[in-house]
Amino acid sequence: MSPWKSTTLALALAGATMLASPALADFDYGKFDGVTLKVKLIGGTQYEKLYTRIPEWEKLTGAKVEIVSSKNHFDLDREIKQDIAGGTVNWCVGSNHTSFAPQYGDLYIDLKEKIPAEELALYVPGTLKSAEVDGRLVQLPRVTDVSNLYYNKRVYGDPAVQARYKEKFGKDLVPPATFDEFKEQAIFLASPPNLYGTAFAGKDEGMTGRFMELVRANGGDMFDDQWNPTFNGPEGVAALQWFVDLYNAKAVPAGTVNYTWDDIGQAFAAGTLALDLDWPGFAAFYNDKDKSKVAGDVGFAVAPTGAGGKRGAWSGSHSFSVTESCPDKDAAVSFVVFMTNYDSEMLEAEAGNLPTRTKVFEDVVAKFKSDSNTYMADMFETWEKSLADARTPPLVPQWIEVSNVIWPQLQAAIVGEKTPKEALDQAADEARTILEDAGMIQ
Amino acid sequence: MTLFRSPRAVPYLLLTPALVVIAAVILVPLAVSLWSSFTAYNLTRPATLYSFVGLRNYARLLNNADFWWAFGRTLVFITVTLNLELVLGLGLALLVNQVTMGRKVLRTIMMFPMMFSPILVGFQFKYIFNDAVGLVNNALFDLGLITQPIPWLVDGTLAPLSIMAAEIWMSTSVFAILLLAGLLALPKEPIEAAKVDGCGPIQVFRHITLPFLMPFIFIAMTIRSLDVARAYDMVRIMTNGGPAGRTELLWTLMARVGYQNSQMGMANAMGYVSILTSILFTVYFYRKLVVARRYMGGVE
Repeated sequence: MSPWKSTTLALALAGATMLASPALADFDYGKFDGVTLKVKLIGGTQYEKLYTRIPEWEKLTGAKVEIVSSKNHFDLDREIKQDIAGGTVNWCVGSNHTSFAPQYGDLYIDLKEKIPAEELALYVPGTLKSAEVDGRLVQLPRVTDVSNLYYNKRVYGDPAVQARYKEKFGKDLVPPATFDEFKEQAIFLASPPNLYGTAFAGKDEGMTGRFMELVRANGGDMFDDQWNPTFNGPEGVAALQWFVDLYNAKAVPAGTVNYTWDDIGQAFAAGTLALDLDWPGFAAFYNDKDKSKVAGDVGFAVAPTGAGGKRGAWSGSHSFSVTESCPDKDAAVSFVVFMTNYDSEMLEAEAGNLPTRTKVFEDVVAKFKSDSNTYMADMFETWEKSLADARTPPLVPQWIEVSNVIWPQLQAAIVGEKTPKEALDQAADEARTILEDAGMIQ
Repeated sequence: MTLFRSPRAVPYLLLTPALVVIAAVILVPLAVSLWSSFTAYNLTRPATLYSFVGLRNYARLLNNADFWWAFGRTLVFITVTLNLELVLGLGLALLVNQVTMGRKVLRTIMMFPMMFSPILVGFQFKYIFNDAVGLVNNALFDLGLITQPIPWLVDGTLAPLSIMAAEIWMSTSVFAILLLAGLLALPKEPIEAAKVDGCGPIQVFRHITLPFLMPFIFIAMTIRSLDVARAYDMVRIMTNGGPAGRTELLWTLMARVGYQNSQMGMANAMGYVSILTSILFTVYFYRKLVVARRYMGGVE
């Protein structure tokens, strides 16, 4: 395609015309008349909009899609494990996630063997790399996730608050650039029960993930090269102390140790949090006048750095995988490429999710700007800045299991039952046992 | 095939379909899960179902403090909730039994909590006890009783109590319905005779109503002690065993080990230890039931 042509095409797309995308023209989706593809997809409002594109793929290829299961990721994970255990993997495509994928062994095929390299080159390289397990591309990412800061402009823009902050700390009140500033501001701004500095996911992988983010930002990591746990080192202790300090200062709701993403989202939307380190999927919700009290007053800032001068940038991608046992692998591959092609990714991006194709990033920002939606354009520009630092949790099958021994210990330290060092040492011992049993540590 | 035609074979032949069904839906899964508790069975690696490790899972359980804490907490949870449900259910049944008009409507209303799935009850009580936006804290603030929010689902004492409150709300009506059935079947004559002889209401309850109700109480206890694990969904939603394991019950622990961690062998070992406890409870209640029935029959 000549440069002139591609520029015209990009402009046409930026103008939101319904022209076929370059990807649609280049990739051969094939013809699969009479094939019925059984799929297990993640359910939920934010994920299901994409599925409105399924009839288009059916029309294009002549195949039919049968959704045999649609559940949230934890239930889907349980069901997939039951299928593996019972030897009943009779479906072709499953929703997947970078945190879950390593557990499934050889359930899914290596997509690099089926999708041409030039097609794969259109995806964000880092995102694609983190979708690999042991060098095999077992999943094709549909949206990626990394957290940045949302802040309540009503609080940050209040002249009285600004003056008090300047008097106390001798500097202007702007969104925090480091985790130390984050803590300082969260404690300063909190006036419970009407306003808390922030809230964090206090259980399940959400808790472990945020902790990991801080450990890495402090310059540490969860494991060394030989898979020995290192999260109980000084960087880890400092990271856990950060959560403990916020909790003890009552800068977070006491119930935060039971919160998951939805609880935090609701709290920020209710205007009871000043700061929220959170996922991009919340941006549209926070600015929705019908659902959010802070609509019109939401600001964005890149996630803070830790003592190591780095960003932890805990990231993960939702994805699609094709099973080894699928009798129509070509149709399945065609389906997963279609569900992550340019048009699909534009649809995801316009809903506020981070796309996985490089080109969609610039195009969606242009589209938001042309629609005068500066809010979402700002969001994408902020989030794009942190993508370079994005890192997934360790891609080992034991990650979720290890996470399940870490977060109860983190909670124990946060609610004051143990010191951070004691809690992390115990978690490290338990994690070591798991990795030794799995043969990761020799 | 004279063997099958023999009159002595008939009962066995007639029982065969039932035995086959029972074997298929009960015995085989029980046997497989018992076997897997002696293996290193990992859900995502089906071949591990054949890696026999003997008593290793059980030996590890013996030294696993988290398991025994969860075990103890589960025992306390069952004991406290079942007894409170019994007392409240009995009170409700006695009250409804006094009503002369609209008893059917009241009975239906009483069954409402049973109609909710435990997951919905979990969400409902998670919201009620939420420290920031929950109903309880808001009411206490408005009444001026507190100035700082109470962390209902976090505090080491309040969190288990909050979960018990949800469980009691959900299941008290089971007791109430079963005991009301007992009250309705109560013969009027002994009560009237007692009243003629000058017994007060407390004496009537103590010496006639309660002994008559005992078999119903033990049946209700037996059913509930087996079905109380339904509370798993509720606890999963409210706290998922946290924070710091303060509300961890055997059911949340087993689900995490078995499904999230994929260690089905270990989870089944935990299951068998808890099944033994359930059997002990059931045997105990069953014996009590037999004794109570014998008493009612006037044998003793």
